[in-house]
Parts: sequence; structure tokens; C-alpha cells
Amino acid sequence: MTDPAVRLRRPTWLRVYFALTFAAFAVAAAYGLVWSPRDVTQGDLIRIMYAHVSVAWIGFVAVGLTAVFGALYLWRGNRRDDVLAVASGEMGLFFSSLTIIGGMTYSRPTLNTFWTWDAKLTLTAIMVALMVGYFIVRGLIDDPVRRGRVSAVVALVAAASLPFNYLAAEWFRTLHPAKSVALDGSGVTMDGTMLAVLLLNTAVAGMIYLGFMLDRVRIGRVEAELEAARMAPAPAPGGVKEVVRV
Amino acid sequence: MNDLRAVLWVARKDLLQESRSKAVTVATVFFSAVTLGVLAFAFGENPLLLREGAMGALWVALAFAGVISAAQSWQADLEDGALEALLVWPVPRAAVYLGKLLANWGLMTALGALLLPVAAGLYGAPLGPGLLLLLLVIAAGTLGFALIAVFYAGLTANLRARESLLPVLMFPVVVPILLAAVRASNAIVGSGDLALADAWLRLLVGFDLVYAVVCLALFRFVVEA
Repeated sequence: MTDPAVRLRRPTWLRVYFALTFAAFAVAAAYGLVWSPRDVTQGDLIRIMYAHVSVAWIGFVAVGLTAVFGALYLWRGNRRDDVLAVASGEMGLFFSSLTIIGGMTYSRPTLNTFWTWDAKLTLTAIMVALMVGYFIVRGLIDDPVRRGRVSAVVALVAAASLPFNYLAAEWFRTLHPAKSVALDGSGVTMDGTMLAVLLLNTAVAGMIYLGFMLDRVRIGRVEAELEAARMAPAPAPGGVKEVVRV
Repeated sequence: MNDLRAVLWVARKDLLQESRSKAVTVATVFFSAVTLGVLAFAFGENPLLLREGAMGALWVALAFAGVISAAQSWQADLEDGALEALLVWPVPRAAVYLGKLLANWGLMTALGALLLPVAAGLYGAPLGPGLLLLLLVIAAGTLGFALIAVFYAGLTANLRARESLLPVLMFPVVVPILLAAVRASNAIVGSGDLALADAWLRLLVGFDLVYAVVCLALFRFVVEA
């Protein structure tokens, strides 16, 4: 095991990756802010959409992947999966919080309200609350194995509400604009240039997610090793319980 | 078949324990009645507002009572290592969960049926012709609520700060169920629009099914440690 202090230093390839991500972000922002056309009804406000929708999509992916890594941890019991789940969970919480902030920014000038009890908004807020609960539970359990299992369960239940969230716009026809991109192939009701800019922004949001994931996983591994080293020499108090259990 | 018997035995044990201690009954009946009263004060004297808020208040009271009931059902088992004894019983963990779910659901449905006329009286809301459908909504809503509440109460049973942690964890998950239940009840009591109530009831049953599958599949990881 290398010295943790050395390993905590960000490796060069990751620094290069972050630099590339920043450059890509600048290009995507320029496309969104300058080169994309104005919307017929929303005018320049449509530009908020590129940031809002891309962040929302990646937020869903992040929370979904937290549950996937949690499920893998429950299945294989490999600590590495728990580290991945936490990393993705933190990004999921961050991106879904950003989704709410971005959505408020977008809906105040276009729909004339910061907040409405629309199903999609409500369920995104629920997603934030669920991810907060995920981290509260993690903070309360000291045993790494039990912490991994219980938080994986919490993440999986959180993800079970994700399909409702995605379909909500169709189930309850309320104030939130209907989706302009349907994944079932029924077509896209968005200008081609706008769609391209949106997809570019989504790709960049994905790059940002991936970069922070890689960084957080790197730190998480060192954390896990330190924790294992700290717990090893003590005469395990869990051992007695194990005997009773068997 | 044997597992099904185990479910019924766990439910019977919980209900028997409750019939002797009456801990949940006393706490939930009076607590939810007080909640209904306090919410009536909050709504003010406008009879229209009261009538429209009746079903919402009923579900808030039921939700708070449900948290107490679910927490208590695990709390009672923590004493004298009863939970450990229950878990070494050679039946699937899901049987223990289903048994507790059954007991909690029964208690909550009974509480809902009891609170319904109280809410109707206090808030001046006519129950009308949709009473049977309303009872169905209460059964489906409390089922969904109990599914989540019993699951998370088991998860938090041996954690620090469980009293405050349980609502924090479970209310975000249970919101879709409460939302559908309130909308369905309001459609019956408020406008008498039974078709709308029927649509919300179907959605509610859908949520119940999803959560039942998720909770049953994951429960064995919840009480393992």
C-alpha cells in the first residue's frame, strides 16, 4: 500500500481530463448562449433549457447508477461497488439539487412561478430528499459492511421512484412542459440545431459527472483502506455477535 | 404453504401483543384525533375550506399514526432479544416482514375507518354515495403506507436517532401514495367524481404493487446485521 498522502494527489491523467472537460464545457456554453437560435415563444430564455435539461438527465443517470452499484454491492459484497455507489450518489444529490435550482430559474420567467406542485417537480424534490436520507443513514452506521448494505437498500428504493418521475409529465398533465424528446422513437419535436446543442450540453454534463466520479472513487478507495486499517487491530466487537447469530 | 403460515403467525403475534398492551391503539387513536382537531383549527372557520381539507387532514392524521404504529411494532421486539429470536426462526425474512405488514395494515385500516366519520363530522364533509369506494381507497392507501413504514422501521430499528430518522427516510418515499390517496378521497367526497377517484385508485394500487415488489425483494438485507 502506497502512502495515502501520496495517493491523494490527483494523477496527471485526471488533471488532463478535467482540463479537457472544462474546454468542452466552454464550447457547449458558447453554443448554448451564442450560436443556438432564439426560441419562437421563449426567446433567449430557451438557453436556460440547455443547462437545465442536460443537468436533469445526468442527475437521473447518477441516482440510477447509485442504485445499480448498490445492487452490485448487495450481490457481490465487494467494497469497490460501495465506493462507486457513494461517488455516484454524491453526484446524484448535486445534480438533482442543480436541477431544482435551474428549473426554478427557468420557470420564473417562462411560467411565471418559481415553484408549482407539479408531479415532476415534486418527485425531483423527493429525489433530493431521498439522497439526503441516503447520506444521513450512511453517517449513522459505523460498520462498513452494514453501512454499505443498508444504504444500498435505501438507494434502490429511491431508484424505484425514478420511473414515476420520468413518466410523471405524461401521467399528470400539469404545468410542466411536455417532453420534446420521446425515448420510445415517436419523434422529436425540437429544432435540429437546438437538439444538437442540447445533446452537446448533455454530453458535457456527462463528462463533468464522470470526472468527479473518477476523482471521488479515487478518494473513496483511500478512505476505505484507512477505515479497514483502523478497524483491523481492535478485537472485533462484532465477532461475539457473529457467534450468537450462527 | 409453510411460509404463508409463518406470515400469519407473525401477524397473529403482533396483533396479540397489541391486544394485550394496547400501546399502539392508545397512542394512535388519540394522537390522530388530536391531529384532526389541530388541523381543523389551522383551516379556520370557513366551512368550504374545512370541507375541502377534510380528506387531506384525514390522511395526515393517518400518516403520523402509521409512523408510530410501524416504529412500535419493531420497538416491542427489541426488548429481551425477541427480534433475534424471531430472526433465527427458519422461515424467509420476507415472512417476518409480511406478518408485520399484515398486522400494521390491519391496525391502520381500522384506524382509517374509525377516523373517517370523525373527520366527516368535524369538517362537515358529506360522505355520500361513494363510501364503499372511499373505504377501498383507505385500504389501498394504508397498504402502501404500511409497506414503506414497516420496511423503514425495520431498517432503522437498531440505529441511533431512529425516532427522527424514520419519518425523514420514509415520507419522501411515501409521498406518491399519499398524493394518490388524498386525490382519490377528495374526488369522492368533494366532487363526487367517481370516475376520477377510480383512476387515482388504480394509480394507487400500481404504486402499492411496485413498492411491494421492491420491499419484499430487499427486506432480507434490511434486518441482516
